[in-house]
Amino acid sequence: MSELKVGIISCSGEECLGGTISRLATRVVLEELKMISTVTLCLPLYLAGGEEERNFAKVFPTISVDGCDKLCAKRSTEKYSGKINGSVDVSKIIGNENALNTKIVRNKDLKDEHLQMVEEVASEIIKMISNLSPDSYKGKAFHGCSCGSE
Amino acid sequence: MDKKVKVIPCSGIGKVYGLMAREAALKTVFELLPEKSETVCLAYIVTGDKEAKEKIEGFDCITVDGCPKMCASKNVSIAGGNVIEEVKVLDTVKEHKGKKFGSPTQLDADGEFVMDEIAAKIAKKINELN
Repeated sequence: MSELKVGIISCSGEECLGGTISRLATRVVLEELKMISTVTLCLPLYLAGGEEERNFAKVFPTISVDGCDKLCAKRSTEKYSGKINGSVDVSKIIGNENALNTKIVRNKDLKDEHLQMVEEVASEIIKMISNLSPDSYKGKAFHGCSCGSE
Repeated sequence: MDKKVKVIPCSGIGKVYGLMAREAALKTVFELLPEKSETVCLAYIVTGDKEAKEKIEGFDCITVDGCPKMCASKNVSIAGGNVIEEVKVLDTVKEHKGKKFGSPTQLDADGEFVMDEIAAKIAKKINELN
């Protein structure tokens, strides 16, 4: 029996705060969203992995989460895997200045204000998942193989 | 871009080892050796953009991977980076059997301890180059 799941791909960029926020917000959604099953994949697996990984966006309705307006997760998913169904640009939510902050990147340096940003971005991802049209699931269903990590 | 060594982690999002790779790399470039090292977004490298390739092509790179799929190493090599050291988080983790390291979201105390060890190994390698 097939099960509907939503895929979330985060850029997890290492150079600036936006990447850290994108990674943590994605983790929050994966861990806390109970109404809908979610699944993720490490972005670099598109090249380092195999066919199974590159099928990610074909198997799951997929939302990309990017820390800056380079939109690496969105562009890579569409280049290697398939069309995405939604895109979150963290810099549009927390502002460019915050997203491109290169001083605060490590988890341990995050303050309450940054954790608030994580929550805001997580809310945006959840909103996007809620707004996925039924068409997004057409031809896509999770059949029990595990090409992503929950 | 200068001649700093590029330290590039996988930042894997599914397991704690990806976070250990990420935090060890970031500790190296921000805290231990900021004058000798820097990082480059792996996601940017994956795009294959010309500008992303130019950031690492021909430069000495140390990759830090959290699982045997070796995403950081493979992607950096594909983009033309000169991988001088492949740091495998699991090699250090094996020396700490039975410990709990945390989650992909947050490291526990043991996770921080082992991450510090990995960062020290990366820094040692960079110092040996200079």
